Amino acid sequence: MSALTRRDFLATASAATLSALAAGFPRRADAAQTLVPTADAVIVLWMAGGMAHTETFDPKRYTPYAAGLKPDQVLSTFPAIDTAVDHIKISQGLERIAGVMDRGTLIRTYTAGDLGFILHSRHQYQWHTGYAPPQTVAAPHLGAIVARTLGPKDAAMPPFINIGQRLDVGEGEELKAFTTAGFLGSEFGPFGVPFPDAAADVVRPPGGMTPGRFEQRDRFYRKLLDASPIGQEGSGYQRDSLLRAYDNAHRLLSSPAAKAFDLSLEPLDHVRRYVPGYEPGQQFRAEQDRFGARYEQQMVGRFGLGCLLARRLVESGARYVEVTTEYIPFLNWDTHENGHTRATEMKRQIDAPVAQLVLDLEERGLLNRTLIVLASEFSRDLLIEGKPDRKVKDQVDVPDVITEPKHYGMHRHFTDAGCVLMFGGGIRRGHLHGVTADERPCRTLQDRVVIEDLHATIFRALGIAPTLAYTIEERPFYVTRDGKGRAIQSLFS
Amino acid sequence: MISVAPWLVFSVAVIAQLPPSAARPIDFTRDIKPILQVSCVRCHARGRDRGGFSIETRERMLKGGDDGPALVPGDSSSSHLIALVAGLDPDEVMPKKGSRLTSEQIGLLRAWIDQGAAWDPGVSFARPAPQNLGPRSPDLPAGASLRANPVDRLLASYFAQQDATPARLSADRQFVRRATLDIVGELPTPGEVRAFVADRRAGKRARLVARLLADDRRYAEHWLTFWNDLLRNDYRGTGYIDGGRENITAWLYAALANNLPYDRFVAALVNPTPASEGFAKGIVWRGVVNASQTPEMQAAQNISQVFMGVNLKCASCHDSFINDWQLSDSYGLASIYAASPLEMVECDRPTGKTARMKFLYDELGTVDPSAPRGVRLEQLSHVLTGPKNGRLARTVVNRLWARFMGRGLVEPLDDMDRAAWDQDLLDWLAEDLVAHRYDLKHTMNIVLSSEAYSRQAVDVPERSETYVFRGPAIRRLTAEQFVDGISAITGVWQEKQAAKVDVMLVSAHAAPVPSRTRAALANADPLMTALGRPNREQVVTVRTSSATTLQALELENGSTLATTLRRGAERLAAMRPLTTNGLIDKVFERAFSRPPTHAERALCAQLLGAHPTAAGVEDLLWSIAMLPEFQMVN
Repeated sequence: MSALTRRDFLATASAATLSALAAGFPRRADAAQTLVPTADAVIVLWMAGGMAHTETFDPKRYTPYAAGLKPDQVLSTFPAIDTAVDHIKISQGLERIAGVMDRGTLIRTYTAGDLGFILHSRHQYQWHTGYAPPQTVAAPHLGAIVARTLGPKDAAMPPFINIGQRLDVGEGEELKAFTTAGFLGSEFGPFGVPFPDAAADVVRPPGGMTPGRFEQRDRFYRKLLDASPIGQEGSGYQRDSLLRAYDNAHRLLSSPAAKAFDLSLEPLDHVRRYVPGYEPGQQFRAEQDRFGARYEQQMVGRFGLGCLLARRLVESGARYVEVTTEYIPFLNWDTHENGHTRATEMKRQIDAPVAQLVLDLEERGLLNRTLIVLASEFSRDLLIEGKPDRKVKDQVDVPDVITEPKHYGMHRHFTDAGCVLMFGGGIRRGHLHGVTADERPCRTLQDRVVIEDLHATIFRALGIAPTLAYTIEERPFYVTRDGKGRAIQSLFS
Repeated sequence: MISVAPWLVFSVAVIAQLPPSAARPIDFTRDIKPILQVSCVRCHARGRDRGGFSIETRERMLKGGDDGPALVPGDSSSSHLIALVAGLDPDEVMPKKGSRLTSEQIGLLRAWIDQGAAWDPGVSFARPAPQNLGPRSPDLPAGASLRANPVDRLLASYFAQQDATPARLSADRQFVRRATLDIVGELPTPGEVRAFVADRRAGKRARLVARLLADDRRYAEHWLTFWNDLLRNDYRGTGYIDGGRENITAWLYAALANNLPYDRFVAALVNPTPASEGFAKGIVWRGVVNASQTPEMQAAQNISQVFMGVNLKCASCHDSFINDWQLSDSYGLASIYAASPLEMVECDRPTGKTARMKFLYDELGTVDPSAPRGVRLEQLSHVLTGPKNGRLARTVVNRLWARFMGRGLVEPLDDMDRAAWDQDLLDWLAEDLVAHRYDLKHTMNIVLSSEAYSRQAVDVPERSETYVFRGPAIRRLTAEQFVDGISAITGVWQEKQAAKVDVMLVSAHAAPVPSRTRAALANADPLMTALGRPNREQVVTVRTSSATTLQALELENGSTLATTLRRGAERLAAMRPLTTNGLIDKVFERAFSRPPTHAERALCAQLLGAHPTAAGVEDLLWSIAMLPEFQMVN
C-alpha cells in the first residue's frame, strides 16, 4: 500500500468504519424513525449478582441484628438516610450517592423476567440483549447495538468498551454468550478491559515492548507490505478489509485516545475521590472466598477505577461503556449468605465512584449528553425466591431462626422489584419512579418497568427507535424485545 | 342473494360508505394481482388459509371461508370481501396486518367483482413445488473433452452462456498452498512446495489432491472445525455447567478420520447413539425456555438447516413471513423427537392444536406417529437419507463447493429452495455423491481436481449482488488455519488438546499427534475468537470473513499471539547453524510457499542484522503474520 492510500485511510477514519458496515454486516431492516437524541454516550454501571433493593436504594423498616430474630421480621438490615431530594431516602452506606440524587432519577420498580429458575447468567443475558436464552440467532449485547447503530463517537475509540468482567471465571461461558455482538459481527463486539487497574495494558504494545520498537515494527511491516508482490497487485475486497482493520487498530494504539486508558495520567488526589486511599500502581487481586466478606473488602477500589476509566473514555469519545462490579458466582453482589456484611462492602465499592462519576461529568459539561444507568439483573430478599405468586425452586436455604450474623442479609433472588439509577443524558433530575410495598413481599405496586421498556428508554435518549431492527437470515431482529419496547416518557426532563 | 349472512345486513347508508367502483375495464393481472399479492397472500395463500379462506385459485376464492362466500360475482356491494377491506365493521378489518387498502384499490376490487371477477388462467397463489428436492441426473455434455473433469465439462456451457472468461490457471505455488489449506487446513512445508513445483509429470495436481485427501489424520483435524461449526459442537460452552449439553467430539473425529459415508453420518446424528446424541439434544439452559427453543424444536431447526438447507427459525414461533414454512411444519418435525404429542405454541401463546407428526416434505416418506420414539427416529433417518431425498446430497455438495470456491452454487447456503447458478452442475455433483455411496472425499476429489478449482483466485466481495463464476474466490484463512500456520512457522503448538479423541475408534495413523496439537482440537482462546471462531451457541454454516478492528487489535497487542511469537522467535534465534538469509528464506517459504524477492530479503536482512536476536525475529514473524499474503488464500 502506498503512503498516499495509507494517509487516505487515516484521513477517512469514520469512513473506514462506514465502509466496513457496507461490506458484510447485517443491514438495518427498515427506515425506523430517527429521534432527536438527548444523549451521545452511555455508561452502564452493572451491579453484577443481584443487588437487593431493600439494602440499597429502596430501604424499608430497619431491623438491627439480634440472635433469635425470625427471618420474616427482617426487611432491611441498614437504616435509611436522607438524600439531596426531600422525598427520597436510600440506605446507609450510600451517603455520597445520596448527595447527588438531585441529579438523576431513581426507578424502584424494575421487574426482571419470569425465566423459571432464577439464574444470574440467564437474567444477565436477558438484561443485556432483551431476549431470554437460548435464541436461534446470536443476540447482540446492548453495547453492540449502540455501536452498530451510532458508530464510534471518536474514530480511534472502540465504540463498545466492557470494563471489569473476566470471562474465565465461573459461568464464563454463559457470560460469553451475551458479551458479544452476535450476528451484528465482531466489528461491534466488546473491547474488553477485564482489569481496570491494568487498563493501559490493553492499548500498550504487547508484553513489555518499548514504544520505539513498536513503531519500528509498524514501519517495517509497512515497508514489507509495499514490497510484497501481492501488495502490488492492486486492491481486492479481502485485502482492503485487512488493511483497513489494521490501520484502525494501529490508530487506536498510537492515538491520543489511547492515553484515556492510562489511569496513571490522572492526578492522584483525583483518583482518590473515586478510590479513597488509592496508592499508585495498586492492583486488586484476592482469593475468592464465598463464605466471608474478605473478597468484597479487598476488591473495594476495583470498580472505582473502572468508573474513573469510564469517565476518561467518554471524555475521549467512547460511545458505550459498561463497568461491572464483576459477576463471579457467590461473590460480590451474589450474596448467598453473610449478606449484611457483604452488602456493606459492596456499598463501599460503589458509593464514592458512582457519585464522583456524576460530579466529574457534570463539572466537565458532559453530564447533559452522557446517560448513566446503574442496574442489576434482579434484586434479593431474605425469604422470597422469584416473585411472590410464582413458585420457583429456592436456590438458598434460609433457617427458621437467625442465630448468627451469616444468616442476616438478603440471600434469595427476588424479581418483583429492583432499583435502577439514571443520571444525565436528558433524564429528569431529582425524580422518583415507581412504588413498592413497605411490607414483605416488598413488591412492585405501581409503575412497573420491564426490560424492553428500560431498553427503549435508553435507546430513546440515544435517538434510537425501539422498533429499529436488523436483518438476519432475512428476518427482522428488533433492538427491543420483538420491537415492543416503549420509552418511559416521564423519565425525561 | 343465495344466503344472508349476518354481515350482509347493512343499511343502505352503510353501503353508501363504500368507495365507488372504478369506472373502467379491469385487467386481473395488471390491476388485481398486485393487490392480492401485497395484502392477502401472506395469510390466505401459499398453503395458508386463515379463517378457512384461501385465494390460491379463483375457485377457492369464490368458495369463501368460515364466514361463508367471500364475493358475489357481479355484485361487489354484497361481497363480504369488500365489506372487510372497506372496514365497515371496525372490529373486523382486512388485511389484519400491514396497511389498509386505499379507496382506489377498493374501487378496483369492486369493479373487478362487478365485471364478473375474471381470473387469468395460469395465475395461482399456491405454494410452489419445492426446489432441489427430488434427485435429478443431468447427462454430462458430449463433446471433444470427454476425458475432462465432469465439473469442467458442465461448466463449459455455463461460461459460454454467461459469455464469461474463466480466470487463468494458478501458479503451482499458489495451487499447492491453496489445496493443502483446503484439504488438511495447513500450510505446505517448503519441501512439499519444492517437490510439487519440480514435478514435471502430467496430472500432478490431481495426484496432490488425492494424496492430501488420503491423509486421514490431518483431514480429520481440519474438517473438525467445519463440522463443529455446523453441529455446534464445542469442548466448553453454555450448558456444560449442569449437564444441559453433550459434546460429540470423539464420535465426530472418528467419523471424519474414517470418512464415514455421509448418509450414515447423518443417520447417526438424527437417530443417535449416546456418542452422537449431543447434536439432536441441543443446548438446555435451566429454567423456562421460549416454546420455540425447547430441545425438540432445536432439533427440528438444526436438522432442517444443516442437512436440508431449510430455515425453520421463523416458523418455530409463527407461520414464517420470509418463506412458506408454517408453525405446523416445525412442530411436525419436532414431535418426532418429543416424548408425547406437542401442542403448538404461537408466539408463546398455546394454540390448543396438536401438531401432526411429519417430516418437512410428505413426498419423501412418512414417520409413523404411533411408533415408539426410537422407531420414529429410525424412520426419520430413512426418510432423510432415502433415495427420494435429493436435497440431502445437494445441500452438502453445495456447502463443500462454497468451502472450496468461496461461494455456493446456491446462495445463501441455508436456503436450498433457491435455484443454483448452474443447476446441472449441482444436480450432477449431488447424484454423483449418492452414486458413490455418499463418499464425501470422492466429491471433494472431483471438485478439487477440476480446472475450475485450479484457476487463479478472483476477488469476490462478501455480499456481491451480481456473481459470475470465473474461479475460486480469494478467501481468508480461518481462525484455526491462521493459528496452525503460526504454529508451523514457529514450531509452537497448542498447549492442551481439549478435543476428546477415542483411539479405539480411529486407526493409529489418524490419531492426533500430542506434540502438534492443532487449533481445531484446542479450546477457543481470545485470538481464535477474535479471528472468527464462533462460540457455537448456534449452528454456524458461514463465518464472516471481513476483517474487523477488534481482530486487528488482538493481532497487534493481544497476549495470545505475542506469547506464541516470542517463544517461536526464541526458538528460531537459537537454532544452529543460523544465518540471516537462511532464516528469512525459511520463514518466507513456510508462510507464503515462495522464497522472498530480492527486495524483501534485503528489507528483512536490514531488520535482523548479521546476528538475529530473538526480538528481531519476533518482529519479523509478526510482520509476516500481518501481511495479507499470509492471511489470505489466493
